[in-house]
Amino acid sequence: MSSDPRRAELDAKVLEWIEEPLWGTDDERFDTLALALFAFQFEHCLPYRRFCENRGRTPEDVQTWVEIPPVPTGAFKEMPLHSFPADRLAHVFRTSGTSLERRGELHLDTLALYEASLLVPFQRFLLPDLHTDREPLIYALAPSPAEVRDSSLSHMFAVAIREIGAEGSRFFLSDGGLELDALLEAMDRVPTDRPVLLGGTAFAFVHLVDALAQRNARLELPVSVRIMETGGFKGRSRSMPRPELYERLEDALGVSVDRIVNQYGMTELGSQFYDSILREPGAVRRKLAPPWTRVRIVEPASHRDVSAEATGTLVITDLANTGSISAIQTADLGRSILEGFEVLGREPGAEERGCSIAADELLDTGKT
Amino acid sequence: MNPDALRERRMRLDDAGQALRARPKGESLDALCRTLDAWSDPESRWRKRLAQQLPPATGFSPETVQEGLRIALAQWNGAALRELVKQERCTETAGLGTTALFLAGSIPMPSLVQMLAPLVVGAPVLAKSAARDPVTPGLVAASIAEADPLLGECVAAVQFPGEDTACVGELLACPCIVATGSDETVAAIRDRVPAGAHLVEHGHRLSLAALGTDVTRGNALDDVAARLALDIALWDQLGCLSPIAVYVVGEHAAAAVAEALAEKLGALEARMPRGSVDPAAANAFAQARAEAEMRAASGMVRLYADPADAWAVVLEPAAALRPAPLHRFVRVFPVVDAADVARAASPYAPHLAGIAAEGFESESAALNTALRALGAPRICPPGTLQAPPLDWNRDGHGVLRSLTGSPTDTGAV
Repeated sequence: MSSDPRRAELDAKVLEWIEEPLWGTDDERFDTLALALFAFQFEHCLPYRRFCENRGRTPEDVQTWVEIPPVPTGAFKEMPLHSFPADRLAHVFRTSGTSLERRGELHLDTLALYEASLLVPFQRFLLPDLHTDREPLIYALAPSPAEVRDSSLSHMFAVAIREIGAEGSRFFLSDGGLELDALLEAMDRVPTDRPVLLGGTAFAFVHLVDALAQRNARLELPVSVRIMETGGFKGRSRSMPRPELYERLEDALGVSVDRIVNQYGMTELGSQFYDSILREPGAVRRKLAPPWTRVRIVEPASHRDVSAEATGTLVITDLANTGSISAIQTADLGRSILEGFEVLGREPGAEERGCSIAADELLDTGKT
Repeated sequence: MNPDALRERRMRLDDAGQALRARPKGESLDALCRTLDAWSDPESRWRKRLAQQLPPATGFSPETVQEGLRIALAQWNGAALRELVKQERCTETAGLGTTALFLAGSIPMPSLVQMLAPLVVGAPVLAKSAARDPVTPGLVAASIAEADPLLGECVAAVQFPGEDTACVGELLACPCIVATGSDETVAAIRDRVPAGAHLVEHGHRLSLAALGTDVTRGNALDDVAARLALDIALWDQLGCLSPIAVYVVGEHAAAAVAEALAEKLGALEARMPRGSVDPAAANAFAQARAEAEMRAASGMVRLYADPADAWAVVLEPAAALRPAPLHRFVRVFPVVDAADVARAASPYAPHLAGIAAEGFESESAALNTALRALGAPRICPPGTLQAPPLDWNRDGHGVLRSLTGSPTDTGAV
């Protein structure tokens, strides 16, 4: 926990909300916390304060969370954006990218809130059938944090394995390569009496289906298995449209498309967003925001909300980002669907978000 | 357009091509010169139709289209075409047969010259319109038909989605293929070109600007900033000849140039407004502007920007590769001297189309040599970047020669 009492109080309130068993939309609660957090971050993060002042926004002027100036994700590549003293820095997560590119950095002084905000949606959207006596088996197509300490995706899987994973949960990407034989062996004896999550980058799954095709191998995994994929293909040796990837996954692994979930996340945010498909089977596939987050879809220049179902920039306010900046202007386009949203990708030429590339660089250079 | 109709069209073009090659020498060139003279005349009905139809089809403002056509087509006329033929020593029967064009982008001049060039060497043209400009190819084809009915039978403008692999296959059955577009698009076409076919590639290119100390003070600054702002604003910075970065000798001079450019881009917005921008491009612009805003607030850069994102100028502290969202977004970098310009531009070397340079006096010859060594095919004063001559050899293999299979071509695959 933070040594700053004001921050510790904010952390405690957000944590309390995250851990509540029932999720409900509470606009007043969100607004109160978001404004308090804005005031705190305005005071403690000098680059952010200057940015807000240049826009004529101070805690005195901002009346509602919608008016909080969002920081563009690109700014995390340019300067440290944290709301705690530099000597309290405990962990840094970095965006993926090549050695020639600047990489965005999320600076954290504590992992407590960060881990809570990633774990709860992970459970609710990927493991809605979870029971206390049947821990999920988690197989991660990603390198372990020991290999890539600054990868937020690897950290997420590590936390999930540590906190809720059944014995045998593990990483299947190491030393630059997918451990295909080990993975196939594990899949061969996959249990049917507990949830099994196969998670990783989209690119890792492309490697997997390619490798299976080369061996003429086809699996018929039980319904206990679900897949979570994340990230894009920018700069990768191989890319595949998402519908085609899902079709090939269904064909190669026997996991139906309605058990494949896309995760939308980014290093700059503590919380992630998942497809609703496992949580609300049969309903329209869309991303649902946890209650301590808000997603706006705005006209890029004016930041005014776009009309219903129109395409616009995704702006996310994540109360779990207490140690950095809570309001983020993403580089992604999106569109509202019912009370949720869908991610339409990003502009041509922009760098892909997500953690796909860091893990994929290892795959590109290593064995498969 | 479906594959069967496309095949029939291609076969008709092949037949018309026989008649074209058999006609008396000089007739085709005369007709093509008349065609280009018409396009060069602002009062011609083809120019007027294009100026009317292009804005709603592409999103450019009518003022931008008018100004862009005025500047670019001023020197593109029959005499220039005859000079080009002379320079490249091409005959009217040197073509390889029906030439398939994969056109790209939303700027009309490349489509115009690409459609005329095969006809000059006696080859019929089957042109696939770019998704972003469904207007120009049809008008060019009609203008050719008006000037000469036989040439009219030798040119066809078609439209179909780029993902329609069957239709793409019909175009790839032509003996000569001209692929224009992003490097990914060109590579995708290259992968499908059959053995023995002749492929001419026009991939991704971009432009830069460089200003020396002779033009960054007093009235000279005001003048050069106005000209450079026009280069940036024309076609909303979407062309390969649109500068995305400006290198200025001296830190103070760079600051002065950035401020002057901002003023001129603001003035141009009133006279020649930026056109509509799709959500993806607007998003990229807004992200780059907000990022610059963050850096400006911390004193890392200076930002001049229109409140509605119609233009932006960022004064950077040092030369570096940074995102270029286009649509009138430009970065100004200080450099030490002319040699430093070449160093700063070198990462762009494989993709350089043009460099607008001025104010280097005694260093200009050395600078030109250095920039040419980087592969910049066009070096010219600011304000003229967007008006290349008809014989501009963008990709180094000749406007006409590239279509004849001569040894300087990219070659058969």
